Formats: sequence, structure tokens, C-alpha cells
Amino acid sequence: MRQTEDVQRAVQAVAVAVTPVEYGQRGYHLLVELENGRVRDFARIMHDQGYFIGFVTAVHVAPAIEVRYQFAHFDRQSRVMGFTTVDAAGAVPTIADIFPGANWHERETRDFYGVVFTGHPNLEPLILPEEDVDLKPLLKSEKNLKDAAAVRWPEPKVAEDTAAAPAAKE
Amino acid sequence: MMESLMPELIRMVVAAVLVVAFVFLNAMIMGYLERKLSAHIQRRPGLMEVGPHGILQLLIDGLKLIGKQLVIPEKSDHFLFRLAPVLSFAPVVLPFIVIPFSRKLVIRDLDVGLIFILAISSLNVLTILVAGWSSNNKYSLFGAVRSVAQNISYEIPMLLSLLAVVLMTGTFSLQGIVAAQGKIWFFLIQPIAFITYIIAGVAETNRAPFDLPEAESELTAGYHTEYSGMGFSLFMLAEYANMFIVCSIATTLFLGGWRGIPLPFGDYSGIIWFFLKVYGLMVFLVWIRWTYPRTRFDQLMNFCWKYLIPFALVNVLVTAVLVKVL
Amino acid sequence: MSEAQAPLHHRFHLNMGPQHPSTHGVLRVILEMDGEYVLNPQPVLGYGHRMQEKMAEARAWPGFYPNTARMDYAGALHYNHGYCALIERLAGIEVPPRAEYIRVITSELNRIASHLLWYGALLLDLGAFTPILYTFDDREQILDILEDITGSRLTYCYFRAGGVSRDIDDKFVERTRAFITRLRSRFPMLEKLVNGNVIFLKRVEGVGIIDKDMCQRYGATGPVARGAGVPYDVRRAEPYSVYPEFDFEIPVGENGDSLDRFLVRFKEMEQSLRIIEQALDRLPDGPVMAKVPKKLKLSPGDVSFAVEAARGELTYYLISDGTEVPYRMRIRVPSYSNLSVLPELCHGMLLSDLVAAMGSLDLVIPEIDR
Repeated sequence: MRQTEDVQRAVQAVAVAVTPVEYGQRGYHLLVELENGRVRDFARIMHDQGYFIGFVTAVHVAPAIEVRYQFAHFDRQSRVMGFTTVDAAGAVPTIADIFPGANWHERETRDFYGVVFTGHPNLEPLILPEEDVDLKPLLKSEKNLKDAAAVRWPEPKVAEDTAAAPAAKE
Repeated sequence: MMESLMPELIRMVVAAVLVVAFVFLNAMIMGYLERKLSAHIQRRPGLMEVGPHGILQLLIDGLKLIGKQLVIPEKSDHFLFRLAPVLSFAPVVLPFIVIPFSRKLVIRDLDVGLIFILAISSLNVLTILVAGWSSNNKYSLFGAVRSVAQNISYEIPMLLSLLAVVLMTGTFSLQGIVAAQGKIWFFLIQPIAFITYIIAGVAETNRAPFDLPEAESELTAGYHTEYSGMGFSLFMLAEYANMFIVCSIATTLFLGGWRGIPLPFGDYSGIIWFFLKVYGLMVFLVWIRWTYPRTRFDQLMNFCWKYLIPFALVNVLVTAVLVKVL
Repeated sequence: MSEAQAPLHHRFHLNMGPQHPSTHGVLRVILEMDGEYVLNPQPVLGYGHRMQEKMAEARAWPGFYPNTARMDYAGALHYNHGYCALIERLAGIEVPPRAEYIRVITSELNRIASHLLWYGALLLDLGAFTPILYTFDDREQILDILEDITGSRLTYCYFRAGGVSRDIDDKFVERTRAFITRLRSRFPMLEKLVNGNVIFLKRVEGVGIIDKDMCQRYGATGPVARGAGVPYDVRRAEPYSVYPEFDFEIPVGENGDSLDRFLVRFKEMEQSLRIIEQALDRLPDGPVMAKVPKKLKLSPGDVSFAVEAARGELTYYLISDGTEVPYRMRIRVPSYSNLSVLPELCHGMLLSDLVAAMGSLDLVIPEIDR
């Protein structure tokens, strides 16, 4: 889709990798891998392009927690998924000043994973009680922790499914 | 000395007992009517369980409320907190002294009857303030503050609308005003005053759409948030008694009081007519309450100061001029 | 409007909730006030938190079906729908057309039920007690219809990956048609009861204005965004199920105030009726369940699925590691984003307006807390 290409070009500058993906298979159009420090630039581009914030969340994989951002657009069919890994201190820059809607999502992510969003205006517990600061319910135990590669779409299968999925879904 | 005092004393005691009994009875009738009418407005049967059509429900509710523990918030002003519901009772009992129920049935027909009622019933706002303040609860305080502002504002158009009638009759005595309505009832001559009075009356009794002091969705229960058991029910009694007083003033001043088509009950027909009219008006108030949403506080005040008071003032002026000319 | 520069000693905190008549559940809002003016409302969440996302990670994917309905009790079928469609997308399951039609019909019925409930609740917030009992009357009909087919009245667990658990019968079709006629005849009354009422209009007109920019920054969707004039509806924007086959409009407002949100939801009910009518007319025959293996391993990878729930865009986002048990499940609920607007929306408002504005957002608290 042409509109997605526009975004792709804009995001290319700040991203490590930008991959258009099959919507019928994954439910979003663009996968953007980001460097930890470029998250705010990415969010700014999303804001300027008129995207609204879907959600911010994280997933606990080895070696480091991944923070994921989803954006969608009011006027065109385009859903963008960005992800980055936390740095050594377990931190990621906040986007709450660019998208105030991310404020709560970031606080919730911090509740569940302990990810620190640097520069966040009010990183208090949102859902969990204040007393249980060490309770990080969504962190995986040693036994269940998977490698980041284990939760990616398998590379060769993408090509196969791209052909099969639209026929199955559309 | 004693001979002249004794009958008077007995008379007072009997009157006091009757009035207090009536206040309770009125609350029961109105409680039942309100719940039953609101149920039918909302297309549900309402009270059905206790007695035929739930008629004994209010008796049971009363017993329950009497039996309930009176919870007093720890940080409230205990003395004022207990005093407020009791205080709220006095101003609603006293006006019954001058209300003419029929040609003969009136406890005491004072020359300044109307002023007496208005003076006494404006004390009511004080008890609400005491209740709200002593509860040491922000919602209660909100309710109390709203109530004070509202009641004081709406007393002005209320007074002005009544003044128009007083100008026409030249008396403050309620019996005198009823007597003056022999030919025509005043709501026909003074429609603006009548409407103004009803609106102000709804506001004075804190009933929807002007029930801001106890706005449930904003202030939980307003000034009586912290009251339970009998404390709460005394406020309820006072509210219904207040409604009765407001409606009986309306009846006396605008609807011809106890006058009506003669019924075959002799002197009693006046009482019947009086109660019919008063309860008719009260049912009207209930009907309004269950039909309309609540206004906002600033809208309520604007309405009073920008519309009601000017209209009522003009009405008084016109009346005064006409009375002088005719 | 009172200014934020009000002297500090005039300010005080008012604690609204978690048990308050107009927070509809267990939402708590700490209001910083200056007299009757709200300076800074801060919602406090978590009183109804059940950690649904963790539950999803702790069991094989079919075990999460009943949980979906427990989030939004007023529009549970949309949550069913989103979850099943997500699994279907990940596993590449094709749903028989009859099942898709049944999903659309029941989902739209559920949407109407949710809007009817909200209609009464908003009016209740504004101090009118009676309308909610009128709308409950209509809503009851929907619940009865859905109860017959799904087995539950509120927390449905009706959709399955690959179809629906039970076929509908002629009685269902008949009753639904009767309901459409009934509700159509009731609309003018519901409208007359409220929309022409001066007190109501004065309470909602110009109160709580949310514009497009605000929707974008906060991710507010559904009737909140549509009230602001954004014609965004997932049923159109990212068509799913058989929605592209139906003719319906997306009502939008102009000013983005509480009245617009009210009118948008009111018109949406009519559009939902239209969709149901068309779906009933074209209801195909056939099976209602695709062949899905009993034990289905999900292929590794991430997948997202958005549906239009009664309150806005609902997105399920699942990360799978190739086992039966989802590795990570994220549920983006519409009320969460819609409520996050509150501090900006209600700054400097009267307390009564805050209640009206909050009512017009149509919040379901267990959905926010999850």
C-alpha cells in the first residue's frame, strides 16, 4: 500500500530495520525495529504522520526485555508495530510527552515488568498497589524464559504463509 | 388566671401531639406515594410485598430505621451531629400552627401568619448547614454549602411572589387570604406569581430537578451522607413535612385554600378539599422529580437571579400599580 | 472558569470513589478542587484488577475463552470475537460464512445492549432516574434472546476459534426480527424523553470537548473519537468478519462535546439494527464450526487483531512461542485510553460537569483494570 510506503520511508531514518509484513497474517502492516535511544524520534514521526497510540507494552525475552509500541491511523488502514530492547539499566526513553496516552501504558508496563521509562512525568504504580514495589507479575521465571528469536515469525515460513494466508483469510 | 390558661394549655398540647403525629403520618403517606408513583412512572410495580400493594412497607421501614444503630463518624462534631436532625424537626412543625385546614380548623390564626411561616421555614437551611458542617465530610459540606446558597437565593422570588397576593388582599393572615378568594382563586389572577412560587418551592424543598444539595451522582447523598437510622429518617420526615408546608401555602394563597364545591360533609368538606389540593400539588412535585434530570448549580443560580427575581419583581410592581388604580 | 493559579490554601482534595454512585464500579478519582471547580482529576485504577494478561499466559489458549467475557461485562461478545479472530488469524483457520453472520448478528445485538445500558447510566449521572428503567426494558429483550442462544446473560462464552459453539434456530431469527421492530418503535420515545429536554441539553452541550488532536494523542477511539468528527470505526477501517458486506453508516459528531458522543451512540444503535436486518436477510446455510484440531499448537510469532467493541477499538496482541500456551498476551482496551483523557479534559470544570463528561465516555471499569 502506497501510504504505508510513505511511513516506511519516514521511519527508515530512525530505525534499525523496517519490514513490511502481511496484514492478513499478522494484523499490522509495518514492523519497525528500533534502537533504544531512537524511540522518541520514532514516536515523533508517528505523531507527525497522524498516527494515534494503540498501546505500549513489553515482553520478557532473553537477553533483554523488549518494549513494544503499536500505532494505528484514523484515516488510512495502517498499523505500525515498533519494538526496542531495554538498555543495561532496564530503561527506555518515555514517549509520554509526545503521546500523553502512553503515560498510563508506560506506568502499567513498569508495574508489570519494572521497565523504567526515563523522563516519564509520573512513574508511580498505576494498577498494582504501592506497597508491592518488587512484585513484577509478568516477568518470566528462569525456566519459562524464551530467547527473543523463539517468539519471532520463522523466516522462511513468512514467504510461504504470505501466499497462503490471504487466500485463507480474505 | 388558671381558668383562662388551662383550656389554652390543653389546646396547645393536643395541637402539638396532633401536628407531630401528622408529620409522621404525612411522611408515611408521601413515602408510599413517592415510591409507588415513581414505580409506575418507571413502569414497574414498586412496593408489593408487605400488605396489599405494599401498603405496610413504610411501617416496616420506619421500624427498621428506628431500630438501626446511629453511626457517628469519629472525627465529626458529636454534639452538633446529634443536634442537627432534631433541629431540622422544629422548623417544619411550627408552621402547622397557622395553616388553615378548614374554616374552623386552624390552631391559631395569627395576623402575621404568612410572615411567621416564612420566617420559621427559613430556619431549615440552618439545620442543613449544621448537619453538613458537623459531619466532617467534604461531600456533606458541599451539600450544605449548595443548600444554603440555593435556599437563600430562592427565598427572594418566593417572597416576592407571595407579596403580590398580600398586596391584593391587604392581609398576612392566611384565613384572611382564603376569605378573599371567595369569587376567584388567585392563581387565575396571579399566574406569574403562582408559577414563580412553585418553582421556588421546588428549590426550597431541595427536590429534583433542583436537588443539588443531595445530588446523588455528584455528592453521594449531600448533607446527610453520614447519617444513618433515625438521624437520616428525621431528615426525611422534615423533607416531606417541608413539601407539605410549601404545598399548603400554595393551596392557601393561590388555590383557594379549603374552598371548593360543597361536599355533603358539612364543615369537614373544607378539610377534604384542602388535603386534596395539597396532595395533588405534592403528586405534581413527585411527577417532576422522576421525570427531569438535575440542573447544574450555576444554571440554578442564574435562573433564579436572572429570570425568576426580575419576573417576580415586575409582577409585584404591576400588581401594586393595579391595586392602587382599581 | 476558576484559574489554576488559585491560591494553594484554597485547594483541597476530594476523593471520589472507589464507591461512588457515578463512577460505575470501582474507579477512584482523586480530585484536586478549588471550591466546586476541579483542577486536577487523577484516576486511580486497579481496584478490579485480575491480571487477565497473566492468566492468558498460564493456560492453553482455549482456556482463555471465558476470561474474555469477564473484562467488559456490557459488551462481552466483542471480546469473544476479538480473541477467536486472533487465534484464527494466527492459525490460519477459515470460518464458515454462517458462523461469521451469526457472530455479526449477536455482536451487534450486544452493542445495542451496551449502548442502551450506557444511555440509562448517563442520564442517571445527570440525575434522571427514570430513563434507565426504560432502556433496561429493551435491554432485557436482548439479554433474553442472547441467553437462549448462548446460555448466559452477560458474560458470554459463545464464539470459538473456527466458528460459534451453537447454531441459531428459526426462533432466534423470529425473536430478533420482532426485537428490531420493537426497538425501532421505541426510538422516538427514547429520543423524546431526553433529547428535547432543556435541562439535559444544558448539561451536556459544550461540556467535555474532545477534539481530533486529543483523540490522536491519547488514542481515544470508538464513539469518543467519532463524536469528535473522526469517522474511525474498525469495522470499516480494518474490515474483519463479514462487515464489508453490509451497508451501514458511521455517525459522527461535530463539536466533540458530551452531546455529540450521546448522539453518536444513539445513531449507532439504529445502524446496528440495519446491520442485523441485512445479516438476517442474507443468512447463509451451512456449518457453524470449522474443523479445528482439538490440540492446536500456535505457530511462533506475534499477531494482532483489532475489533470495534462497544466502547472503541479493542486490540488483542499475542506473542506465541510455538506452544499451546501464549507467551505473552496484551489486551488493548478502549476504555483505558478513553479514560486517560480525563485529567486534560476536566481541568477547570465544575464537579457536575465532570460527572457528565465522565458519563459520556461510557466507562466500564473491569475492562480498564482487566
